[in-house]
Amino acid sequence: MTLRTYIATRIALTLPMLLFLLTLVFFVMRILPGNPVLLRFEKNADPQLIAAYTHRLGLDIPLWQQYWNYLVGILHGDLGQSMVTFEPVSEQIFSRFPATLELTFYSFIIAVVVGIILGSWAARRPYSKVDGGIKLYGILVYAFPVFFLGMLFQLVFGIWLGLLPVGGRTDVGMVPQGLTLGAFHLQTGLYTLDALLGGNLTQFVVALKYLLLPSLTLGLVISGIFVRITRSNMLETFKMEFVTAARARGLKESTVVYGYVLRNALLPVITIMGLEFALLLSGAVLTETEFNILGLGTYLVDRITFRDYTAVQGTVVFLAVLISAISLIVDVLYAYLDPRIRL
Amino acid sequence: MALAKKYYPRNSGLTPRITGLIRSGFGPGAGRGFIMAGVAIVVVISAMSIFAPYISPHDPTQISVGPANSPPSSAFPLGTDQYGRDLLSRTIWGGRFILLVAVTAVVICLAVGVPIGLASAYRGGNVDRSVSLVMDSMYAFPSLVLAIVIIGVFGVNIVNEAIALAVVYVPSYYRVVRSQVLTIKELPYVEAARSIGGKSGHILLKYVLPNVLPSIVVVATINFADSILTTAGLDFIGLGLPVNLPDWGIDLTYGRAALAQGAWWVILFSGLMILLSALGFGLISEGLSERRGQE
Repeated sequence: MTLRTYIATRIALTLPMLLFLLTLVFFVMRILPGNPVLLRFEKNADPQLIAAYTHRLGLDIPLWQQYWNYLVGILHGDLGQSMVTFEPVSEQIFSRFPATLELTFYSFIIAVVVGIILGSWAARRPYSKVDGGIKLYGILVYAFPVFFLGMLFQLVFGIWLGLLPVGGRTDVGMVPQGLTLGAFHLQTGLYTLDALLGGNLTQFVVALKYLLLPSLTLGLVISGIFVRITRSNMLETFKMEFVTAARARGLKESTVVYGYVLRNALLPVITIMGLEFALLLSGAVLTETEFNILGLGTYLVDRITFRDYTAVQGTVVFLAVLISAISLIVDVLYAYLDPRIRL
Repeated sequence: MALAKKYYPRNSGLTPRITGLIRSGFGPGAGRGFIMAGVAIVVVISAMSIFAPYISPHDPTQISVGPANSPPSSAFPLGTDQYGRDLLSRTIWGGRFILLVAVTAVVICLAVGVPIGLASAYRGGNVDRSVSLVMDSMYAFPSLVLAIVIIGVFGVNIVNEAIALAVVYVPSYYRVVRSQVLTIKELPYVEAARSIGGKSGHILLKYVLPNVLPSIVVVATINFADSILTTAGLDFIGLGLPVNLPDWGIDLTYGRAALAQGAWWVILFSGLMILLSALGFGLISEGLSERRGQE
């Protein structure tokens, strides 16, 4: 199988998953009682007003037609308008997404670093006391409700020590504006990146200070799984013949561990970690709520209470596309770097 | 008959397998410390929740039993919350509903995920492919987001919460059972059973299921931890248990308001209880999988 057919197959496999999730959310939200129109009006509101409103939201045409229109819209990249604010859903999602991306990115980095350091340390001495302790750390952080850890951090570093801010993304008036070169303007919405692009170091440091507690919270909770993945992968690699060969040649143990085993175990490890992205997103919803970050997670929670069908569907579709894209990229990258996968 | 039982104990049905499983779970061997510690935590917390009405000093929902937001003292060992409710009583009662939801979710998952996994893998072909596609797409999606959508759509109550958790976690059971069955169904003893005319249902129940059981136990224990954490997470974003119940997740959520004034005791004990419950199941699961790894 060539790389191209491999990619094509992978894409073909993610489409049914997308369609399934989308269809499920679409019909379930509409079939069940409670709708955005009735939530908006009093019980004895003017029926004409309700009818006009229903028409404006496009809820008065047959269900199948609504579904068809929605699918056609998605193919054009149109996720419809919010049923509460009437703004385009895709615009709202894109304004909220950078905060989530920034949080998950830094959390991922923290989790990977902690995971690789502790995981390789444990793998060097399997079934020793150190290994047991690291294993216990893994179970402990896994069992931590992410928002509880966030609260403890807020309490200690924000309230008691007063060192770090406990919520939000940056100080008032410190929102980085990104890069402007004449008519060219680039603003990503990722505050740390925008601050660097604009060359403003103070803004960068402030944004980083705001990010520290949330990313540490999410990163540490996820790190338990990363420790486990690193450890088991390295133990597998230790059994390989080239490791025995390296040892037979009398190389120092640390050279064997870090130069041979870790290097070879790293690629699959990072690939599997990339696939844990869904887990990171679940945690991000709670972390955003705890730290008042206006990201995609808080958007979803906010919209669902209003039964804003289009907004919820839009978010689900967006997340499904995102996850498919990431798993695809991870897969392809792996296939590209390790030709054995393509066989 | 007695002879057959003596010589073929491995595949002679579910009951000896379950007792064997319990015996092998506690006996000496790898992961014993983890298993023992986990079981101890789970037993203590379950007992506390079950006997809450007899051991709690106050009514957990009674307001103004003491001054509002008072720190731990001899009268109120864990302090009081913003309504002057006794936190010790609330902590003792607080596990009843969250654990009940988790138990219900795990039972539904076992009742749904295991049979589907068994049948799908054993049948194979297009049925297996379509079921796997649906399950995998649910598995790949962020569990909390899926649970939020389900509860947001169906409405907030205990039953819906358990159903949402079950929907979210059924794919985990399905995947584990399916992958095990795919290996087991090719083994000689299954082939032998088929060759002497055993019916599919009989083979699945008597030959395949008993050998999948240890993996199911590992999934179910870690799933307990996941369910507890997800329930607490749903509480936290206002889509969990009804607010009037004494519940760790609710206390943790509403204790946030008092946190800014430095009232750490409201969140600390409720948070620790959620952590401990999830930790208990996590330890058992870790111990069991360590044990299986060394077999």
